[in-house]
Amino acid sequence: MYVHLSWYLALSAILFTVGVVGVIIKRNIISMFMCIELMLNAVNLTFVAFSSSFRDVTGQLFVFIVMTVAAAEAAVGLGIIIAIFRNRESLDVDEANILRL
Amino acid sequence: MNLSLALQIQNVSPDVNLLLILPELIVCTAGVIVMMVDAFARPRQRWMTGGLALVGLVAAMAASFWMWSGWAGPREAFHGMIVLDELRLGFTFIALLVSALTVLVSMVWVEGENLPAGEFHSLLLFATSGMMLMASGGDLVIIFLGLEILSIATYVMAGFRRTDLRSNESSLKYFILGSFSSAFLLYGIALVYGATATRTGLAGTTNIAEIANRLDVSLYPPLLFAGAAMMLVGFGFKIATAPFHVWTPDVYEGAPTPVTAFMAAGPKAAGFASFLRVFVFGFPFVATVASVQGQIHAAWLGALVVLAIITMTIGNVGAIVQNNVKRMLAYSSIAHAGYALVGFVAAGATGDPVFKSEALSSVAFYMLTYAVMNLGAFAVVTLIARSGDRRTDFEDYNGIGFQSPGLAFTLSLFMLSLLGLPLTAGFMGKIMVFRAALNAGYYSLVVIAVLNTAISAYYYLRLIIVMFFRERTTSWSAPRVPASVIVVLIITVLGVFYLGLFPNRVLDAFKTRPPAVMATR
Amino acid sequence: MTRFDLRDYLPVLLMFVVAAGFAVTNILLTQLVGQRKQTRTKLMPYECGKDPVGSARERFSVKFYLIAMIFILFDIEVIFLVPWAVVFKTLAGPEYGLRNLVYTEMMVFVILLLAGYIYVVKKGAFDWGERARHEAEAEARALEDLRKKELAARRAA
Repeated sequence: MYVHLSWYLALSAILFTVGVVGVIIKRNIISMFMCIELMLNAVNLTFVAFSSSFRDVTGQLFVFIVMTVAAAEAAVGLGIIIAIFRNRESLDVDEANILRL
Repeated sequence: MNLSLALQIQNVSPDVNLLLILPELIVCTAGVIVMMVDAFARPRQRWMTGGLALVGLVAAMAASFWMWSGWAGPREAFHGMIVLDELRLGFTFIALLVSALTVLVSMVWVEGENLPAGEFHSLLLFATSGMMLMASGGDLVIIFLGLEILSIATYVMAGFRRTDLRSNESSLKYFILGSFSSAFLLYGIALVYGATATRTGLAGTTNIAEIANRLDVSLYPPLLFAGAAMMLVGFGFKIATAPFHVWTPDVYEGAPTPVTAFMAAGPKAAGFASFLRVFVFGFPFVATVASVQGQIHAAWLGALVVLAIITMTIGNVGAIVQNNVKRMLAYSSIAHAGYALVGFVAAGATGDPVFKSEALSSVAFYMLTYAVMNLGAFAVVTLIARSGDRRTDFEDYNGIGFQSPGLAFTLSLFMLSLLGLPLTAGFMGKIMVFRAALNAGYYSLVVIAVLNTAISAYYYLRLIIVMFFRERTTSWSAPRVPASVIVVLIITVLGVFYLGLFPNRVLDAFKTRPPAVMATR
Repeated sequence: MTRFDLRDYLPVLLMFVVAAGFAVTNILLTQLVGQRKQTRTKLMPYECGKDPVGSARERFSVKFYLIAMIFILFDIEVIFLVPWAVVFKTLAGPEYGLRNLVYTEMMVFVILLLAGYIYVVKKGAFDWGERARHEAEAEARALEDLRKKELAARRAA
């Protein structure tokens, strides 16, 4: 079955937007973090869609790198989240208000 | 499977040239060595890591100097993934200098705070290699990778005082907004990759020089605009330009002061390096505005002019109302990003190679002067803040001028330089950037920038007045100044005067030169 | 398109056989060779290392997160090995002759991973050691006491 490129792009744009909106409206750090991962994976979908449409490996190569970077980011992010939780026992960003914005 | 693969890699010659990434290799290796020493050394011996880091950084500096002196024209390796040009060498030098000064500032501090020195220094080295890759990447893959190496290490460094909630919060905010902006940048890269496929059937590309060639034969021009806009947002976050600056004050205030010094000078310069590379070289100036390339160029240039104006104004106005020195310096760093953007606009606006090279070198020079004075200022702030970063409010600076004259005078010098007083580095940096903008015909932009400089006098001079003319109510004991910090202060003070009085040598080094072979003939 | 041939899947079958054989052999060997010492902790119902009874909202040891994070990192690095292994034969062949280059590059990568692993081990991330065991046993004892008290209370009622 052949699916046109634009459908993939539309799907990844929607996923990316969902991620952006999630980061903005969610108040829990873990949820925000998951939304960021969603954004990264939306980008991965774009890359793979283009890559398969062009029959070119560059895009897939990029996906590999994005995946590793996302994993490293996840490790560091979870570390930060644990550190903050151990000091405060809450993961609500609205309570992260010692430094005023 | 094998067939399709063979088709794609048939023209492979492994364009490996390790000499072209020598500084990066040295810094990475030093980072790994520091990590291993940290793992095997006894706790008493961990101070060695700082020295090792310094050795690595100095060796990398020597390597990049060797590349600079053996200049044979711009080169590239790894199929355009790594480029060697003056833009790269200038920013590589800035990254190494910032990192070396940060090591010197933090050597004693990290021990005094009972933090793991080895981890700190290896993270710093990895962050530095990320910055250098951002400057040397000729392909969006390398730029993205460098950016992430830098960012991930910096997230950890911002939260390095693990038991301090302020440090935690700073790290968290930096992490959330940093990865948010990385995602934007990445989506921009993906769209550009898709959009650079040509009508003649070539697949998309992420090579910056190639992107510039493909703009007018793009298969999906609207995607190009979307991609460029997304990348603009991503880079805007990284260098803290105005609508995307909200994280800066919080992160800079909460992070440990030496880390703040590093973050304000290093990542910002590296961000400018790849921002310049992607936009000035990837979406270059073209005489015919009617083409796709001309439209994109006009679009991003216009956006940057607006960004520069907003950034300067918000940075300076925001700095006026601050009562915490670190927050004030954070807003000042936003304002300085705005001034550097003026030079960026000048570099983008012109097609004349001489003017362009002048504008590019003016931005690099500006980042160098900013790095020098900023690191000096933060070194003094670190000393006055004492352990735990507790004393960073303006009240803590009340009347210390005549009790610790050395520190107060050096800090005043850095403030005057940040303000842009003649004879100092800050003045020369601003002059170069403004001159480039005037050459490119942006008169009103320069007028706004000068007005902003006038506004900034208020808060820079305020700190000096607080130090010298206000009565101190609490007791003051002069902080002990470690030898390594004295070295930093000497280097930065000399640097401020040297760059302020004799800028030409450095400027010439940052400019595009004809290949050495041509010069001798 | 190549014709479907079941014989092409022989390596997969072999893989299954080896995997199953490895598991069975190991279980048998531990049954035969291993010594058995039954402690209270060991006889507790297995719940991924946590107390099987009690509040689910209590704090976990930070070690769990540490292991999880290290797992994420080392796990994801494998994705670089797979494409390398796929193209290695082609690139090492006479057509390209990049054998040494491709091999060295992957070895450098693996050595860097190894450096990370050594660092993690040296920093004690995998060290559940004496203290961790004592803590677990103390927990088990406390649990036992609780159960005895409950039993006593039930008897009294």
